[in-house]
Amino acid sequence: MEAAVNEPGLPVEIGRIDEELGKLWESGGDTKTRASLINLVIYSEDPGSMDANTELLSSIASRHAFRAILILADPGARESGARAWISAHCHLAGNGGQQVCSEQITFRLDGESAAALPNIVFSHLDSDLPLCFWSQAEFREPLDDQLWSWVDRLIFDSRTWKKPSGQFTLTDRIAALADPGAELCDLNWTRLRSWRLALASLFDHSAALPCLAEISSVRIECGSDSKTTAFLLVGWLASRLGWSLVRPLTTTCFQGSDGRQIEFSTSPAEGEGIASIKLGGGNFSFSLARSPDSPFFHAVLHAPGMPDSTLTLGTGRESVADTLLAELGRSGRHPLYREALAAVEPLIRAM
Amino acid sequence: MPNTIQTGNPLREGLTGRSQPEPCSLVIFGASGDLTHRKLVPALYNLSADGALPPAINVVGFARRDKTDESFRKELGEATRKYSRQPVVDALWESFASSICYHRSEFDNLAGYESLARLLAELDATRGTCGNRLFYLAAAPDQFEVILENLNRSGLNKPVAGGWSRVIVEKPFGTDLPSARHLNDLVEGAFPEKETYRIDHYLGKETAQNIMVLRFANALFEAMWNARYIDHVQITASEPLGVENRAGYYDKSGALRDMVQNHLLQLLCLTAMEPPTGLDADAIRDEKVKVLRSLRPLEGDEVFRHVIRAQYGAGAVNGKRVVAYRDEANVDPESTTETYVALQINVDNWRWAGVPFFVRVGKRLPKAGTEIAVHFKSVPPVLFKATGEAVDDNVLVIRIQPDEGVSLRMSAKMPGSSLRIEPVKMDFHYGTSFGKATPEAYERLLLDAMSGDPTLFARRDEVEEAWKFVDAIRAAWSTRSDDLAFYSAGTWGPTEAEELIKRHGTTWRRL
Repeated sequence: MEAAVNEPGLPVEIGRIDEELGKLWESGGDTKTRASLINLVIYSEDPGSMDANTELLSSIASRHAFRAILILADPGARESGARAWISAHCHLAGNGGQQVCSEQITFRLDGESAAALPNIVFSHLDSDLPLCFWSQAEFREPLDDQLWSWVDRLIFDSRTWKKPSGQFTLTDRIAALADPGAELCDLNWTRLRSWRLALASLFDHSAALPCLAEISSVRIECGSDSKTTAFLLVGWLASRLGWSLVRPLTTTCFQGSDGRQIEFSTSPAEGEGIASIKLGGGNFSFSLARSPDSPFFHAVLHAPGMPDSTLTLGTGRESVADTLLAELGRSGRHPLYREALAAVEPLIRAM
Repeated sequence: MPNTIQTGNPLREGLTGRSQPEPCSLVIFGASGDLTHRKLVPALYNLSADGALPPAINVVGFARRDKTDESFRKELGEATRKYSRQPVVDALWESFASSICYHRSEFDNLAGYESLARLLAELDATRGTCGNRLFYLAAAPDQFEVILENLNRSGLNKPVAGGWSRVIVEKPFGTDLPSARHLNDLVEGAFPEKETYRIDHYLGKETAQNIMVLRFANALFEAMWNARYIDHVQITASEPLGVENRAGYYDKSGALRDMVQNHLLQLLCLTAMEPPTGLDADAIRDEKVKVLRSLRPLEGDEVFRHVIRAQYGAGAVNGKRVVAYRDEANVDPESTTETYVALQINVDNWRWAGVPFFVRVGKRLPKAGTEIAVHFKSVPPVLFKATGEAVDDNVLVIRIQPDEGVSLRMSAKMPGSSLRIEPVKMDFHYGTSFGKATPEAYERLLLDAMSGDPTLFARRDEVEEAWKFVDAIRAAWSTRSDDLAFYSAGTWGPTEAEELIKRHGTTWRRL
């Protein structure tokens, strides 16, 4: 990895990080308050990621205080080395203008030093706070059991995986390392929340609700990198509506609990993520679409017993920071995700 | 369209950690008023923008002034742009505003309610709102009776085709126990208790909801939450504002009825109640009612010993001269209305025997703040006595507003070769840790009412028990007026209030 790394803070010796952080808080003369709700580890092997991640941390610090441990690793580097920087993300809080700061410790681990990841994490955690580990790189074997069993929330984005099948196997293994194990937090699923909310709301209408039992086709348009996203969305529909995949997977088809066949297809669209979903059956058709970067969904509804209508629905905020905050802001387990994933597991295995 | 009722949308399951609001028509009585413009519609817009409202919702403004749907939407749009928690996005506002309409009628005109019924039926048919109706009484309290009567006479209070019909009643819930009972009887004559939502927006605040979490999710606190460890509790609600444009109402009401009967007694209940058997509405409200029933009644001379009432005189607030209460516009120049009240309340039950709750509320005080301060008992004066060092008691402070959070005062040794003990504070600020974008109380409460969750609303017996306690104080006050104390605007209240708490060997907290 040859890309130059911008200095992401004050360079420090790794053995003196705590001491230097203490000095950082005492410097400057103005009063600062350190705040932290979580340990947030971000691990990346993308040389261009450090600035973007630092910017991301800066943008979320005022909304979810943390101690961040940002690690850029290059396990394949010929020369080994480990460097560290410390910095703080501060903002003014409240009417009193008090400065509130979250800490960031940045590491660059090259060559053999990349294997020190568990030690780097263990030795710089803020005690007693949950550990959220966002792996922006793909998981690889052998897994470090001790490291992964310490993780409370394992964040990843299955949309970025080249081989989703193998990666899902590894995340399952990580989740099973402890009891309770790491909660799997797939940003690919988190981003679907606005789609799920909007889709659900289309069936709130009393005349629309019976259409759920008549769906016979699901068509999703999605970006070329977003097939897993489409699978998760249809997996959610399947798990909520009691559909199961028809085997063998020669044609992609679900079967409802009443024996009804539900055809499922995807087609390419421009941009990332889902562009539209069309649900049809009987004599109804519902579509929900969103142009790239649009803050709205456009829904078109046609069903007996209700007037044909078009709706504009908000999507909520969906930047990377908003998606991460949505994930950090919710606690507990993700049973819907697990069920959605299970409903389309054979499709994912076949990818 | 057949008016079939939604029996549960499976796609809604698990989408949020709360029950889902159902499609409905929300009818706001008093739609031209401040509350609608400043709070209700901005709250609805925010819910809509966050995807928290079902698309099948109608907002019907019911008021006397002549307006069209368009002009009503326009004025609400302007108000929402001014008061919304998040910036208004035009396309989303337009989409939300399409669900708003205006219905002009006098409150006492039955025909206006009958035409409202026809409008709602039409909206049910075209927008799929399933016959669910939520009536919000945001008009002046003296209009509640006629509105409820006409809802009853027009049959709008009756659910249609298996839907539901609910009413939200804004405070004040009466002006004393008889009027509260009368209002409750009227409400009960039109709506069953389970469909009645008495709104106290304090209960919708995150920090008020956090009191239960703090108490019952932390073994550390609950184990010590009793007379063995707690010396006394102080509950304060202070504000630098005067009566502003509420003089007409306030001069008749006063601090005791405006704040203590509802907000502060609710906070006291949340602080003092036993763990409920569950998190359902009635389990929690049962425990709060038990606290109200345990309040030692203040009657006769006891009132003058345990309650201080006062009124502000001229003074300075935030560096500006302000007039005395009696010189405010629309206030009787000889008014004896209290703008400040301080009380010592005793909760006569096993947990709180001998632990006084000191409650104070006032206008034109130096700063705004609502908090609950739990003062723990002193450590035995043995170990550090010889050093001559005073050891401050531990104080746990729950700040309701502003700067919502929790702090704990404890003692620590000052660094150095000698033994010096100083109080230090562990401080948790919501804003610091979670940011500031928490939903407004009205957003939460509207969603709850649409979802059929009355947990954060006051039940009839809560309201009436609170009035019973407050009425006894007012009855004593009515026998004389020479106890009314005065304080200068911009100070922390009258010296009599200092004397009240001094008898317990302590002082009011400095906010």
